[in-house]
Amino acid sequence: MPDFTNPFRRQILAGVAGSLAASMLPAHANLPSPRGRVEHCIFIWLGGGMAQVDTFDPKRVGQPMQRVAGSAYRSIPTAVTGVRVTEYLPRLAERMDRVTAIRSIHHNVVDEHAAATLRVHTGRATTGTISYPSIGSIIAHERGACTDGVPAYVLIGYPNVSRGPGFLGPRVGYVYLTDTTAGPAGLTRPADISTERHANREYLLQQLRQPNGRSIAVQAYDQAIGESLRLSGPQFLRAFQLEEEAPALRERFGGEFGQRCLLARRLVERGVRFIEVSHNLNFINGTGWDTHNEGQLNQHLLIRELDMAVAGLIDDLEQRQLLDRTLIAIGTEFGRPSSFDTRGGRAHQAAAFSLVLAGGGLRHRGAYGATDDLCQRITQNPVSIPDFHATIYRALNIDPAKNLYDGSRPVPITDGGRPIAELFA
Amino acid sequence: MRTILTAICIFSFGITSTFADDPPKVRVEICEGGLTEKQEWPKDAPAATERFDAIAFGFFHVPFKYIDTGVRADRSIPFLLRASAEITLPAGKHRILLRARGATKLWIDGEVLLTTPFVPVLTDGHSPIPTNYLDLGPDFRYAPPGNRERWTTFASTGKTHRIMLETIVGGKRGNGIMRSELGETVAAISLAGSETFHLIAPSMKVAYTDAGWKVYEVAETARLKAIEAERRKKAFAKHGDEWARRRAEAKRWLDKQPPIAVPSLSKGMPAHNAIDHFLAAKIEDAFVLGDKFKGGVDYHAEVKPILQAKCFSCHQGDKVKGKLRLDDLVSAQRGGASKTPAIVPGQPEKSELIARLIATEAMEKMPPQGPGLTAIEIDTLRKWIRGGASYDPAGLKRRPLPGLADDLTFLRRATLDTIGVLPTPSEIDAFIADVRVDKRARVIDKLLDDPRWADHWVSYWQDVLAENPNILNPTLNNTGPFRWWIHEAMLDNKPMDLFVTELVRMRGSHSYGGPAGFAMASQNDAPFAEKGVIIASAFLGVQMKCARCHDAPGHKSTQKDLFSIAAMLNEAPLAVPVTSSVPIDKIHGKDRKPLITVSLKPGTKVAPAWPFALTSKADAGKSRDDLAQRITDVRNERFAQVIANRVWKRLMGVGIVEPVDDWEKGQPTHPELLTWLGREVASNGYDMKQLARLILNSHAYQRVADPMHKDADPYHIAHVPRRLTAEQIVDSLFHAVGRPMNTEEVSLDVDGARDIKNSISMGKPHRSWMFASTSNERDRPSLSLPRVQAVIDVLEAFGWRPSRPSPLTDRDVSPNVLQPALLANGVVGTWLTRLSDEHGITELALRSQSPEELVDRLFLRVYTRKLSVDERASLAEHLRPGFAERIVKSPVIVPVKRMPPRYISWSNHLMPEASEIKIQLEAAARRGDPPTPRLTREWRERMEDVIWATLNSPEMIFTR
Repeated sequence: MPDFTNPFRRQILAGVAGSLAASMLPAHANLPSPRGRVEHCIFIWLGGGMAQVDTFDPKRVGQPMQRVAGSAYRSIPTAVTGVRVTEYLPRLAERMDRVTAIRSIHHNVVDEHAAATLRVHTGRATTGTISYPSIGSIIAHERGACTDGVPAYVLIGYPNVSRGPGFLGPRVGYVYLTDTTAGPAGLTRPADISTERHANREYLLQQLRQPNGRSIAVQAYDQAIGESLRLSGPQFLRAFQLEEEAPALRERFGGEFGQRCLLARRLVERGVRFIEVSHNLNFINGTGWDTHNEGQLNQHLLIRELDMAVAGLIDDLEQRQLLDRTLIAIGTEFGRPSSFDTRGGRAHQAAAFSLVLAGGGLRHRGAYGATDDLCQRITQNPVSIPDFHATIYRALNIDPAKNLYDGSRPVPITDGGRPIAELFA
Repeated sequence: MRTILTAICIFSFGITSTFADDPPKVRVEICEGGLTEKQEWPKDAPAATERFDAIAFGFFHVPFKYIDTGVRADRSIPFLLRASAEITLPAGKHRILLRARGATKLWIDGEVLLTTPFVPVLTDGHSPIPTNYLDLGPDFRYAPPGNRERWTTFASTGKTHRIMLETIVGGKRGNGIMRSELGETVAAISLAGSETFHLIAPSMKVAYTDAGWKVYEVAETARLKAIEAERRKKAFAKHGDEWARRRAEAKRWLDKQPPIAVPSLSKGMPAHNAIDHFLAAKIEDAFVLGDKFKGGVDYHAEVKPILQAKCFSCHQGDKVKGKLRLDDLVSAQRGGASKTPAIVPGQPEKSELIARLIATEAMEKMPPQGPGLTAIEIDTLRKWIRGGASYDPAGLKRRPLPGLADDLTFLRRATLDTIGVLPTPSEIDAFIADVRVDKRARVIDKLLDDPRWADHWVSYWQDVLAENPNILNPTLNNTGPFRWWIHEAMLDNKPMDLFVTELVRMRGSHSYGGPAGFAMASQNDAPFAEKGVIIASAFLGVQMKCARCHDAPGHKSTQKDLFSIAAMLNEAPLAVPVTSSVPIDKIHGKDRKPLITVSLKPGTKVAPAWPFALTSKADAGKSRDDLAQRITDVRNERFAQVIANRVWKRLMGVGIVEPVDDWEKGQPTHPELLTWLGREVASNGYDMKQLARLILNSHAYQRVADPMHKDADPYHIAHVPRRLTAEQIVDSLFHAVGRPMNTEEVSLDVDGARDIKNSISMGKPHRSWMFASTSNERDRPSLSLPRVQAVIDVLEAFGWRPSRPSPLTDRDVSPNVLQPALLANGVVGTWLTRLSDEHGITELALRSQSPEELVDRLFLRVYTRKLSVDERASLAEHLRPGFAERIVKSPVIVPVKRMPPRYISWSNHLMPEASEIKIQLEAAARRGDPPTPRLTREWRERMEDVIWATLNSPEMIFTR
């Protein structure tokens, strides 16, 4: 049952529909009624800070080494009239009718990656009195896995605090893998343990698990053992056998990052609710998306890889009729300015940058919000991180104003975030 | 000193004779003054500010200096270390090696023989991955990260030489301050005709090889720790009189108080000490009630949990919403501000409580926020009201109390509860062999004296005090690594009033583990408000977290109270920042009265003041000292009781007051016992071990478990099996199989290139409390720490927090599927089961005479018990095939190929190869250790399977 008692929401209600009983209203009275029907979310993380002017919010072309501000590359038209993207996103350009680049995202953490990463994952500033949960953990908490026998939240990337469950506790944490060939930590049987050996082990464990006068706490843990044996069994782990896919399809997704996206699709098919996919392969250009100095030189290779993988993912989901049920979100901790540093790279910028949504049955429009000529200021429809989160929650049919509880303390899922109404029309 | 020397002699092999008492040493001087901040050698020799002795010219750590009552302090950066000794060399031409992190000069007989340069410029990621290592022999030790090295030859005529080494430790570079660490500062010699290098030393012979250094480092660390302990003792001695006066004053006050009567023991009740008398009295009362109870709904077992979860946060205690209390019948019958009775005994339909619970209108319904009560819960309340709404306890059914747990069960429980790991086979054997009647008291004393007591308690205080260091760019409400201060305080068994005083003063080292690290809260604009919340909940049982931004419905403490403490910590008035508030438009809905009020406008200045209605006095004058005195003053009995309650809960499973960190929300189950324990703590000088001794010796602590109890039993009739903490689990697993943790250093700056404000090292952990988040928010393979991460994965699944931005007393211990999964299939699981030459069970497997003997010993190590006949049969059966032939006669030992390390640090992590190197290291971590060649593969795998099953059974992670 949705929760209608939050003071923040009441404030909104007050202006719109004073006399109606609260319980008859949708969570956000300023939104038309259809609710999100999305079942899954694939959250792609571009660690380091994607330069929006070199990707989804192109500006006039500048000159890195001469330090003339502007985009590093030319722009190209897209499937949506009037919306242009960088020339290194040709495949996505053709698919921008199923994508919305939100060009008016802003927050205020620029100096440090970890703090900004936490901001974009939790939608909150750090305070000393609470550990906030990540968006993945909140979705796992609210919606669980789609089916039994799979985890709700899988991370393909490095574990860190921002991605964690915070006060919601380890039960809604992630299962993670750092590499598509490795399998998920804790669920993948070590390479040297054959099926026969594993059977021996389980048999021996069974002898020791025989309960005699066990306490309830021990029994509860014993039950978790049973579940973990199931989860580490062939049924779920088959999801990680990418070699089951046709070679031509695998090629369409591209390198390791593309394979991660393909794996995300396989996890969606098996009922995983939320998958965070990190694009963290910093050996492509040295710095990953944190394109200071020389990191800029090979940034276009990263962009190309992103283009190929996300376009591949959109096509593949669409073909399997999963795109409307799967929201793809592209997150990054902040953007970068249109100006260049002394060695032709870019610093950080949080006052105006882009995050991207695709699929999920939203009314896409190629782009939403706008920035000025050199992307220094937002000129139209500013979207905060809580708003961005609220849009994702809304799509997944989660009330962004609902309270979660840290002990007795109510904590709204978003800090006053409001979904982007235009995407739900 | 004698024992340490013996330890050194073990690896002092060969030529030099060992010295019985006082062998010649290397004299070491530390000079804090006389250096400039530039990278240059001083013109004049700086004067020594400290002195200590060393065994050899092998330096990796300078013993800390201690200030005040014994807290670590920072030295000026840079400082100079000067070491000198008279060394007799045989005649001949010898090779000499100098290696160091800072700029270093090695002198022989007044001449400079070798130098290493100042720290070169290292970049933020693009410096080379070093390949230019010296390699001076077949067993030569390659330089560890962040050292410079030079070598030369030196001809001696066979006389005694005066050798001196000077090194500049830490320093300024650009705007940054480099950490004052030594790396591996070493002068070593390879004598003519020898291939091996040895540390230059006046009396000991220490091979400077990988193996030799490893042993040296362990022994030398112990020696340096002893020096540090001595220094702390000396520092405290300067304040000894002052603390003796405090104790005497406390004693005078205590003597004047009417004593708390210890109840006499009811018939048939077992008792070891006064604790059991108090507990027995309460149990007897419950039995009497039980004799009278006629059935119906039991308030305590059925009703109270519902009210507690859904109603008490606003309607319990003195400060309540709508003036309505629901925690006693008289108040509930009277009703609140509306004067409508909330409860009419016998008539649920007339009880406003039920009406509001089933109401749906926003203005009416209760609780106003969050999930409402379930139909079943409401029905329980209806039945209870219909039956008369009795708040009287139903009591307990009379029955004899359970007896003492058997010796091994007791030993396992007590060992885990004191030193945080399982008892070793020799500890078990010694306890079994002891036939004295007071063997339990003796083993308790032994455990309390064990230095590992400190390891067990550090994790607890890390949570409670929100210790939250970050190895990279602290921004996530991070603190300094004051874990090291906690550890030393526990090691020294510092009285808890001194512990609080040192914490509140927040002095000493910031980055190397003094309480000054507690003062820090990165990216937090009201750090002292946060510290106030921590201190109040940790030591006074007062929960003020809501008061950070507003006055809360269920707590008396106001914003002003909290900012008064914050101002005390600030030693000056403090303004409330805008972020510590709730905007007015977010509070005021138009329908209901808001639950919270903001009583302080942002910008309001609050003066230092003691806000609590707790009696105490202070006369120090400085407000931090005043605050410490106010908390720890003997008249403030709350403090001693909070400490008693914390230790009680950790040992007995449930606090006398719950929640332990929020006394406003709970009533003591045993008020007299609590007062009595508090007085015990105060009169024993706030000695935590003395308190633990009392509890551990009680009959109640040692009773047998009642497996059917789910939650902790507030009567303490029986022991309730407890799931071990994350730290106990991980430490016990490594301990039980005898495999070292062997992780990377917890640091992303292993070559010491970065500013001390941005990067610290927490060393190589050997206990779980030493870990910290790997901080790879950048998501770069090149910044991963695969072995550290493998251990953290397990710790985190069991409730350890990689980040501790807020204080926590009770962790979530509920089971989740990742817990058993990580133990079964995770990287740590592989390490724990693989029988390598480093694994403790390998030796056991080689030595055992029969499969039965082997599984017996394994069971003792892991479960601290003997096997049942069935268990023994099935496990031994699995090990029988191939047992007789399991030992490989002449094992092929493949020598480990010496490879120069290709280390990745922040300075070079953006180089193209960096990620690949880390990915290889990750794969190696996942593969685990090479299996021992001394056992046949077939049988070894059988044994590994038995170990796996033993470690994965639930019994491993619970007390009995």
